[in-house]
Formats: sequence, structure tokens, C-alpha cells
Amino acid sequence: MEARREEVRASVGERLYRWLDARFGVARLVEFARHKEVPVGGHSMVWYYLGGTTLFFFTVQLVSGVLLLMYYQPGEATSYESIRYITTKVPFGWLIRSVHCWSAHLMILSLVVHMFSTMILKAYRKPRELTWVTGFVLFAIALGFGFSGYLLPWNELAFFATAVGTDSVKSVPVVGQWLLEVMRGGPDVTINTLYRFFALHIVILPLVMVAVVSTHLVFIQVQGMAAGMAHQRPDRPGLRFFPDFLLRDLLLWLVCLIVLATLVYLLPYGPGIPGMEWELGKKANPLTPAYPGIKPEWYFLWVYQLLKEFPPHLAGMEGPQAALLIVTVLMGIWALVPWLDRRASKGQPSPKFTDLAIAAIIFMAYLTLKAWDIGGHALPGKLPDPRSTAWACAWITLGISCAIALLRLLAYRQRWMYFSGAALLQVVLNGVFGLDYLLAGAAALVVAIAGVVVTSRKEPAVQLRAPK
Amino acid sequence: MTAPVAHSVKPARRSILNWFLGVGVVGWAASVLYPVLRYLRPLGEAGAGGPLKLSAEELTTLGKSHFVIARSGTRKVIVFEAGGELRALDAKCTHEGCTVQFVPGDSLVWCACHNGKFDLDGRVLAGPPPRPLAKWVAIREGNDVILTMEKA
Repeated sequence: MEARREEVRASVGERLYRWLDARFGVARLVEFARHKEVPVGGHSMVWYYLGGTTLFFFTVQLVSGVLLLMYYQPGEATSYESIRYITTKVPFGWLIRSVHCWSAHLMILSLVVHMFSTMILKAYRKPRELTWVTGFVLFAIALGFGFSGYLLPWNELAFFATAVGTDSVKSVPVVGQWLLEVMRGGPDVTINTLYRFFALHIVILPLVMVAVVSTHLVFIQVQGMAAGMAHQRPDRPGLRFFPDFLLRDLLLWLVCLIVLATLVYLLPYGPGIPGMEWELGKKANPLTPAYPGIKPEWYFLWVYQLLKEFPPHLAGMEGPQAALLIVTVLMGIWALVPWLDRRASKGQPSPKFTDLAIAAIIFMAYLTLKAWDIGGHALPGKLPDPRSTAWACAWITLGISCAIALLRLLAYRQRWMYFSGAALLQVVLNGVFGLDYLLAGAAALVVAIAGVVVTSRKEPAVQLRAPK
Repeated sequence: MTAPVAHSVKPARRSILNWFLGVGVVGWAASVLYPVLRYLRPLGEAGAGGPLKLSAEELTTLGKSHFVIARSGTRKVIVFEAGGELRALDAKCTHEGCTVQFVPGDSLVWCACHNGKFDLDGRVLAGPPPRPLAKWVAIREGNDVILTMEKA
């Protein structure tokens, strides 16, 4: 009788919990959540939130994407027209499209910063190699989303961006032509390409993304978040994930939403920087030439500039083929970093890989600045002179890189800077002294290899202090 | 005495079965994948490189903009007038496939995507394009312009 009264007194929530627990063992999950902790440690704490912000922007993409689908109609006579209808006629259509575009850029930005912070803090080290690899796959999928979504408005920019992007795959040995035709739905970019990209953008990539994001999250749940190398202290209590970290996460998501809303309201068509604008412009017409100043999205600019820097032929290959081989090799190295960095996997400091991340940033930043024609002098009606652009971009890169190097040296006592030094040497030789980009790159490669060889001989295998 | 014999026979039988099973799985996967891969590659389009007559609209554009881009089958051709002579080249840049344009002031054919420059005969002058643009023959016949591919 007493037990019955107790049952009645229990709230609806409690009764639901007991009902679920009797069937699915929910108590085990709650117990897991109660003990889940996030490592606490100085400066690295802020970087733990970036995966969450990327996930937040991805969720915004899913919601805004589904809303756009309510009006978007893929087709020769409808793609461009339906986007124009959404932005000019549908109530708040401009808002939904702008949210989708801004959030796409912010998602990639958040993902890139998350990836570089993981690299610099060595969070990829054993046993989290596969978390890094799934993260790398997510990065590739996000780029695929950007690339396929770009074509859907069927405007001039979309047409040429897709023509260039898909043309690159013909460089793949043996299956290049097959791949090109499968991607385009024919030898050229036509409306058939749009149908294929539409399927990719709204069905295939979201399914793959959700599957890989889930795997990435399961890995993180099973292994927990990585502690920073400098403060691996098992004795120190972590921050409770539930609710302390989760509430901080939610607060940051709210800040992200406010930032997104502000940007959408103030700049509904983007900041107007080449590679970051989404004015609809003119409808795609395969029989018009590419217009001057045409540029891809900002995160593809370094590849775009690299394609420009390569000569027509190199080492028996055509220029674009050689450029894409280099990009593929660099990406391959990036994906395999957890296995290449053997010192970090043993828990030892690995300054070379910290420096590799900084070198990658310098390498991409210089190419991106050049692609933006920053500081180039242009005569009226002409494109900026590449020489003056290179000069200005080199000095900007040099200034920022030196400031970062000083900070690393003084604040973090980092001394191993051969990779970033080599990347900077290429910038100076090319931009300041006017040496050919590839020759400057070869000189930088020699310096980087020499740095590795010389310091590997001197370097003793340092074992981290065993935690007390 | 029989036990060792049984041990030597059993793995062999199992490995043969495994081999058949493996071949079966590969065969099954190939029979599923092949139609899908074949389905993804579209049928070829016909009619590349045949003689082409510019339409009245294209002729008007040629007069106004100094150049026009026309389609012949799956190929795009740029037709332009330089020094009183009518010329035609493949309009697809050999670098990354953008559509080129004629710049009358500089007497060159230019690709805006990666700054590739070609002379009026399609030879590469500057920039990253690895090959020249294929030449076409443009002939005026009365008020018409006829384009045919130049034989290599």
C-alpha cells in the first residue's frame, strides 16, 4: 500500500525514466554521463569547443538546406529562377538562403581551426589516430558540400567554378576521363552535371556526413577528449561534461547563432570579398567566356593559386597534373600525421609537427593572399600586376609569421622552426626577390630536409616525466 | 593413427571452401558494381567537329563584341576578327577547361580563370596552359560564316 502511494507521488518524469530504464537500461547511460569529464588545462581549454561549434553550424545547414528545398527546383530553366524567386519573392527567403551560405562558410572556418588546433596540440596521438582520420574525412566531405552546393544556383560563377574543379580530375591516372564524365554526366558541364551535384549535395553527402560524424563522436565518447601534452595530469580532476561542459557548449552555440544572425542581417550576400560572396549575378551560359577576376571559394583559393603558379609542363607531366599531385601528396601526409609523428604517439614532445602545422598555415596563407590580389597595383580596366601582388603579399605574410614566431619563442619556448622557416624562405624568395615560385619551393624543401637531418642527429629521445 | 590424417585433410577442405566462397563474393560484388558503374557513365554525344554555320544572332554578336562563341557538337569555338581576318579556335582553355575570350586591344586570346594567354593562332604566350588551342578554319561565304576543324 505504501509502495503504491510512493508510485503515485513520483513525478511523471521519474516514472518515465523508470519505465525506460526497465526496458533499455538507461541508468547505465546516466551513470556514464555522470562520470564523463573533460580534461582541464590552461590555454588549451578553448579548443575543446570547436568541434561542437562545427556540429552546430552543420545542424543549421541541415535545417536551412531542407527549407531551401521547399522552393528550389533543379533544371535548366528553373535552378537560377527558383533561387531568384526564393531571394526576391518568398517571405524571408533571402534570410534562409543567407543563413545557409553564411553558416556554410562559418562551418568550414570552425572545422579548419578545429583541425589545426588538434594538430598543434597533438590530440591525434595514440590512441586517437582514427578520430583524426575520421575528422580528416569530415573535412573532405565539407569541401565536397561546398563544391557541390556552389553549382546549384546555376549562375556564371557556379558554372566556371565547376568547370575548373571537375576538369582537374582528368589528371587522375587511368580512370581520370571516366571520373570526369561520371562527375559531369557527360564530357562538359551541362545541366546533367547539376542533377548529379544536386543528388550529391542533398542525399549522398548528408548521409555520409551523418555516418562519419557519428563515428567521430562515438570515438570521442569511448576515448574521452585528449589532454594537452603539456598538462597530462591524471591526478587533476577534470571538468564534468554533464552539465558543466555541456552548458558552456550550449552558451557558445547561442553566441554562434547571434553572430550568424548579425552577419546575415548586416551582409545578406556576404562580405563581398572574392570567394566569399553569393550575389546571384547572371545565369550560367556555356557560350560566354569566364569573366575577369573570377575566383573560387576562399578555402579553395590556395589550390587555385597553386594551379596558376605551375608552369605548363613539369617533370614530364602537364602543369595541372603536377600541381594536383603535389596537393594529393600534401593531403596524404596530413591524413597520416598520427602515424608519422612517432614521438607524440610515445607521449614525447614533437616540436617538428607543431612547426609543420605553422608551415602549412604560412604556405596556404601566402597563396590565398596572392589569389586575392592583395596589394597589387592595377591599371584601370586591367587585372593587378602579379609581381607587385606577390611583393605585398610576401611582406604581409613575413610580418605576421615573424610575430607568431616571436610569440612561440617567448611564450611557449618553441625553438624548432625549420619547417616554418622553410615556408617563409619560399615566400621571401618568390615575393620579395622575384624567384620562380617552384624554384623557391625547391630551395625551401632543401632547408626543411636539412633541418630534419641535422636536428634528428642531435635530438635525444626525451621521455616525459612520469606523472606523480 | 587416424587422428593426424584427419588433421591434414580438414584444413585443405576448409581452405578450398573458403576459396570458393571468396570467389563467389568477389563475383557477386562485381556483378552488382559493374551495372552501377556502367550506368553512371553517360552515353557519348555525337556530332563533334562537323562544319558549322554561324546563326544570324551569332553574326550580330561577332560584329558588336569582336568575338562570338559557338557550339559544334560537344565543342565550343571562339570566332573573332583580327586585322581584317576571320579566325576561329577551340574556346575551351587547355589548362582547366574555362571558356576563353578575345581581347582586341592586346590582340590575344585570354582565359580569365588562371590568366592563360594565347596568340591569334592559339599558341601559348604566357600562363599555365599546357597545350595550344586547336585551330578551326573560318570562311566567309556571302553573308555566312562557315567553320570547319583544321586537320592536324
